[in-house]
Amino acid sequence: MTTRLHRRQFLFLGMGSIATVLAGGAVVRSMQASSRGSRPAGAPRLSSSAGELELDLVAEARAGTIPGGPAEVLTYNGRSPGPLLEVNPGDRVRIHLQNRLNQPTNLHFHGLHIPPTGSADNVFLRVAPGGSTTYDFTIPSNHQAGLFYLHPHQHGVSADQVFGGLAGTLIVRGALDRIPEVAAASEHVLVLKDFASGSGNPGSAMGMGRMLGREGPLLTVNGTLNPELSIASGGLLRLRLLNASNARIYQLALEGHTMQLIATDGGAIAKPEPLEELLLAPGERADVLVQGNQRGGSYSLQALPYQPSGHMGMGAMGRPAGSGSTLATLRYSGAVKPLALPMALIPVPEMPAPERTRRFVMGHAMGGMGSHGMGMGFQINGASFDPNRIDTRVELGSTEDWVIVNNDVMDHPFHLHTNSFQIVNSSEQLPAQRAWKDTILLRAGQEATIRVRFQDFPGRTVYHCHNLDHEDLGLMGVLQIDGKPS
Amino acid sequence: MVTAYRTASCGCCKGWLQHMRANGFQVRDVVVADLGAIKRRLGIPAQLSSCHTAQVAGYALEGHIPASDIKQLLRKRPAVVGIALPGMPLGSPGMESAYGKEPFTVMSFTRGGSVQPFSAHRS
Ligand SMILES: [Cu+2]
Repeated sequence: MTTRLHRRQFLFLGMGSIATVLAGGAVVRSMQASSRGSRPAGAPRLSSSAGELELDLVAEARAGTIPGGPAEVLTYNGRSPGPLLEVNPGDRVRIHLQNRLNQPTNLHFHGLHIPPTGSADNVFLRVAPGGSTTYDFTIPSNHQAGLFYLHPHQHGVSADQVFGGLAGTLIVRGALDRIPEVAAASEHVLVLKDFASGSGNPGSAMGMGRMLGREGPLLTVNGTLNPELSIASGGLLRLRLLNASNARIYQLALEGHTMQLIATDGGAIAKPEPLEELLLAPGERADVLVQGNQRGGSYSLQALPYQPSGHMGMGAMGRPAGSGSTLATLRYSGAVKPLALPMALIPVPEMPAPERTRRFVMGHAMGGMGSHGMGMGFQINGASFDPNRIDTRVELGSTEDWVIVNNDVMDHPFHLHTNSFQIVNSSEQLPAQRAWKDTILLRAGQEATIRVRFQDFPGRTVYHCHNLDHEDLGLMGVLQIDGKPS
Repeated sequence: MVTAYRTASCGCCKGWLQHMRANGFQVRDVVVADLGAIKRRLGIPAQLSSCHTAQVAGYALEGHIPASDIKQLLRKRPAVVGIALPGMPLGSPGMESAYGKEPFTVMSFTRGGSVQPFSAHRS
């Protein structure tokens, strides 16, 4: 029996369902909502089987269930966040996206190294209301293990849809997961997302509108307010954090515990990096280990008040200062023989020397109100997004340094599609270790140099601010990668 | 005479200065490195802050406030430190945009920390 036949025999039952495949008369569990680890109330996990993962993904508004939250939440398969997909390198992934929203949508596979074209990570696709499309791609056989992020990327409404609740996660399994100490840890995927309050958004009256990027007062983890995570005394937790918020930047701390960073956006780092605080901008991911080495009791995972850099003397423009908020509670329960931290993870190779350097300056300005201008908007190098204009043309296989300059009075997290990069220079603190990134926070007045190699996939894609209101207001450029796939 | 303080790189402050001049105000444009220090000196509450700060007739002005509100302030002379339009609402003076318009509310604030709506702008 071929794998194609297997594929046709999948049943797609939607949210939380268990699909089965009949293989030669035997019932084989192929995708299931597993309960690996003691996760907080989370979305179902759909794992690939026999090299394939196929699912329906329905984008739809549903009645909100967050206490004090919005009346309506945008969901994938009835949930926000939507399903957690789990695949291996080499797997074929097919996602049948159905748009039951009242506006166009599409999907971006944030951080995945797959083609930016065709039915893969093509953000120029548009799925009309009531329409559907199938995303169909293969995870490269050498793809790094990591946590990746599915979200809509329809220019003009991406912030509405992400702020409204649309998000999904995708784990690529690999070498990092096989390191014995990492494998022994109990794994939790934590999707951090803020929601507007049900009484409307008082923030908008206080100026927290689209120019600053909309934030909501309800800070959820996997769609829940203050879920509980349990840890055994001596145990090891692996927290895989995603900031799936529209604009909110989290300054995270875990009361009483040091977080040991083991992976950034694009995959593992070389050795655990102890962190007392972790800054996570929209689109960024961090994978941390936490040792159950404190007295029993409960400890809060906190979002500390985030202090913008203030290079431009802005202070926290439009942002109430406030105190920290509890995102989740870590509770000790039981005891195990103490688990050790890994000594070494996965080496991160140094990138080749860059063949050229480019400069990207982000800011906001009047673009003129005529037929070609949009008036006030965000710009890169003086131009707001135009899908019909190529801003940057690079050669497949080449390595470049991109100097990203935030010349604005607010923070901008810069995100590049298709290829991960390394941060090689910064006007602020450089990362302690070489690391794979696809999103880098640039505070007001900051500049940083990223080194990127355009590998494997030619085609047209984008780079943009991951404060998605800023992206919708023009802070995006078109990248054309010229060349032939090897 | 309005004295306006802004940073060199702000992409929208000049638009507000033009709006003020077009509405009959004389404006002194002062580019500063540390706008935060000016905001603290003038007593602008942090949660009301925007990208530029100004002074007129002893009142503090924060952000893209419509000139009509400033004229009303000068007519009524309320016992407040000043008025502010927090953030940078799309469609406010200097923030005109084809991307849309957001409703916004200009707030007044006192030395004692009381913050009250001063005028609401729906469209
Ligand atoms: Cu931005």
